[in-house]
Amino acid sequence: MRTKGFAKHYYLMLLPGFVWLILFSLVPMFGIVIAFQNYNPGLGVFGSEFVGLETFRYMFQLNDTMNVFFNTIYIAIMKIVGNLIVPLVFALMLNEVRYMGLKRSIQTIVYLPHFLSWVILGGVLLDIFAYGGPINQLLGMFGIDPILFFGRADLFPFLVVGSDVWKEFGFNTIIYLAALTGINPALYEAASIDGASRLRLLWHVTLPGIRTTAVLLAVLSLGNVLNAGFDQIFNLYNPLVYSSGDIIDTWVYRAGLLNLQYELATAVGLLKSVAGFMLISLSYYLAYRFTNYRIF
Amino acid sequence: MLKKILFLLLFVMLLVACSNEDASTDETDDKDTTSETPSEPADPFGAYEETVTIAIGQEVDPSDTSLQDGDTPLDNQYTRHVKENLNIVVQHAFTASPSNYDQKVSLAIASNDLPDAMVVGPVELRQLVEADQIADLTEVYENYASPAIKEIIDSSSGVALENVTFDGKIMAIPNSQASADGVHNLWIRKDWLDKLGLEPPKTLDDLKEVARAFVEEDPDGNGQDDTIGLAGPDTSNKLYANFLESTNNLYGFDGIFSALHAYPGYWLEGEDGKPVYGSTLPETKEALSFLRNMYSEGLIDPEIGVREDSGESVISGNTGMFFGPFWMPYGPLTDAVKNNPDANWQSYALPLDANGEYTPHLSTTTTQFVVVRKDYEHPEAAMKILNNLLANESEFDPSIGGPGFYPLRLVYAPADEMEVTTVALREVLAGTKEPEDFYDMPAYKLLKSDVDHIHEVKLEPYDNTDIEYWDPQANLGQWTRAYSALVGTAPLVDTEINGVKSLIYSQTKTMEDRWVNLKKIEDETFLKIIMGTESLDAFDQFVEDWNSQGGEQITEEVADVVAK
Repeated sequence: MRTKGFAKHYYLMLLPGFVWLILFSLVPMFGIVIAFQNYNPGLGVFGSEFVGLETFRYMFQLNDTMNVFFNTIYIAIMKIVGNLIVPLVFALMLNEVRYMGLKRSIQTIVYLPHFLSWVILGGVLLDIFAYGGPINQLLGMFGIDPILFFGRADLFPFLVVGSDVWKEFGFNTIIYLAALTGINPALYEAASIDGASRLRLLWHVTLPGIRTTAVLLAVLSLGNVLNAGFDQIFNLYNPLVYSSGDIIDTWVYRAGLLNLQYELATAVGLLKSVAGFMLISLSYYLAYRFTNYRIF
Repeated sequence: MLKKILFLLLFVMLLVACSNEDASTDETDDKDTTSETPSEPADPFGAYEETVTIAIGQEVDPSDTSLQDGDTPLDNQYTRHVKENLNIVVQHAFTASPSNYDQKVSLAIASNDLPDAMVVGPVELRQLVEADQIADLTEVYENYASPAIKEIIDSSSGVALENVTFDGKIMAIPNSQASADGVHNLWIRKDWLDKLGLEPPKTLDDLKEVARAFVEEDPDGNGQDDTIGLAGPDTSNKLYANFLESTNNLYGFDGIFSALHAYPGYWLEGEDGKPVYGSTLPETKEALSFLRNMYSEGLIDPEIGVREDSGESVISGNTGMFFGPFWMPYGPLTDAVKNNPDANWQSYALPLDANGEYTPHLSTTTTQFVVVRKDYEHPEAAMKILNNLLANESEFDPSIGGPGFYPLRLVYAPADEMEVTTVALREVLAGTKEPEDFYDMPAYKLLKSDVDHIHEVKLEPYDNTDIEYWDPQANLGQWTRAYSALVGTAPLVDTEINGVKSLIYSQTKTMEDRWVNLKKIEDETFLKIIMGTESLDAFDQFVEDWNSQGGEQITEEVADVVAK
């Protein structure tokens, strides 16, 4: 009896989360029917005519569809790799800094951009990389002609990944620093007594110590592969870089909300959901395999 | 037990969420059948006895600094006038800057959450009608449109009403604007030309040479390499005006295309007499090649397509030339002249084609529409607001609040309004006519104030329109208007125009689904060809894609429409 009563509170605490999940994640799923309709907002989903797979046929005719999927995965994977390696390396370097004051101030400074929105950072970045902006002025000193950075489709994915890593690496570093503090100092002492150099310490003590954290983060981020970052790309892109910078979310936004092609946008969004579901299942399985992480 | 309760709860909530949608759709269906019976005798200018509120979607230009004395977009000379004369209180359902307004309208349509009334374009209008979201305004138009508005709308020989009539019902109130809006003149810094000893460029080759001189010879004399020869479109404008948006394209390359007889974005009659889409023709490829060439030589703004607002560099005095309609003094030129009183912007009907003729593309008179939400109780309020504007526009002073702040503003002008104004001003200045001669022309609503005030802002000699012979400070609002007429419109009055019209200016059925994608590949390909990131032969691939992805079918539909 006692334990049952105890559990009640937990269920009660779950309730808000469940309500949220149902209202914002399950109920909207119902809207998927739009993809199979000739949707008309005046008539709503109940009044609109069903057209079967017509929209999907058109979707696969478009050059855009495959392009957009490729961009999404390409940008997302680069972001995952960048967001894994850069903070890790940075955390290891910061860990070697012995002067606490310096360590703390560096840490504070590098995670500041995390708290700025892409609306602000987007404007700043566009100005910095503008034709007459500081980067081009700098290049000009070396005799390099100005480059229209955000107008170049070949550079755009790298600018997106680079700026995202720059924005987030400071914050992600904290996770690794936390993991580093969890390593038993006795291990370091023992290894030092055995005559290990600093590099050896890093290789044989520090890295194994945070391996679980790194793998877990990597595996969990797989579930995000199809979220390449709407906010960021939306604030940085322009028609010149649609070919390499348009991701599913931005494309769906333009097709569905700006150009009123509801069916098409929903169909592409649905495809994204299906692929996302598979990736989440995969990452969950991998997390279980490698780190024994499981929810149920 | 608890589990059961939880699931029951969730299930009920799911039901509620679904049935809510049910209810709302039913509601709209019901309203469909209720007919509107005017509760009081129809009077186009009559004030309501009880205050009526109307929540509108409005475009508010954040860079428009003309509002004075604590006025706001919701409380200014226009909204106060509407309140006093009609007893209508205006509220905002939403506001958006010019570059975001269309997005905001689309969002409102997509979410089925419309303001009581708003201004939309032809694409949105069709969408709204098909979605059955807006009110039938047939009776409103018949009973409440003022005689002046009816006269102007009829003057377009039925085109304006045709554009808003669906199944015999008038679904929106159309505008009717001066045809001058659709011609994109070449605007040049004449003081730069004079400084470098150059003439206005007659041909395309001249244009290149002038652009080159503007870029390379430091026309502003500041010793820095910071000048732009020819401005290009920013993110909210287009490479060229098209059949759906045929007017008011700023900083595009319209003049260059038309000088090569290329009319991209327009439906033209092909050699076999059937409609063809101008963007797919060899002339367009040639024009793209020309532009590509200019761009690679640095004669065009290097940041076309990325720039947020090309007007900024006009105001700051870095730009030497651009294409735009006659009303550019209402745009960046007022600020440009405020900034630098020597910025002598003049406009020309140039460049000419190979035969020495001026061959711009022409617009339709009707491009914007006021629509009213389906269940709004006072659909005639929108009409009254428009009547009020046309009847009183000359009383408002644009320098204490630009006309853009008038709620639901549509432009009503006889097609030749600007040309008539220009000629009238010239005659008054020359002394061959008195201002009084123009008082009795009510459709030309601003003409009286134009002729009354021209002597305040124009200095002698009257036939020289260089900026030093003007006094903008005397009356900035009147200066803007008079400069638009005597400088902006002058080329249209003095030049013989061999303009080209599009065969249609509205969408066909297949366009609703396919046009977005076709226009996207067109815009991207052309921009990339000009900027050199795609080869010129990408054009041929574009034509192929365009035809196979729906263009062929659309061309047939256009042929059907034209044949009717």
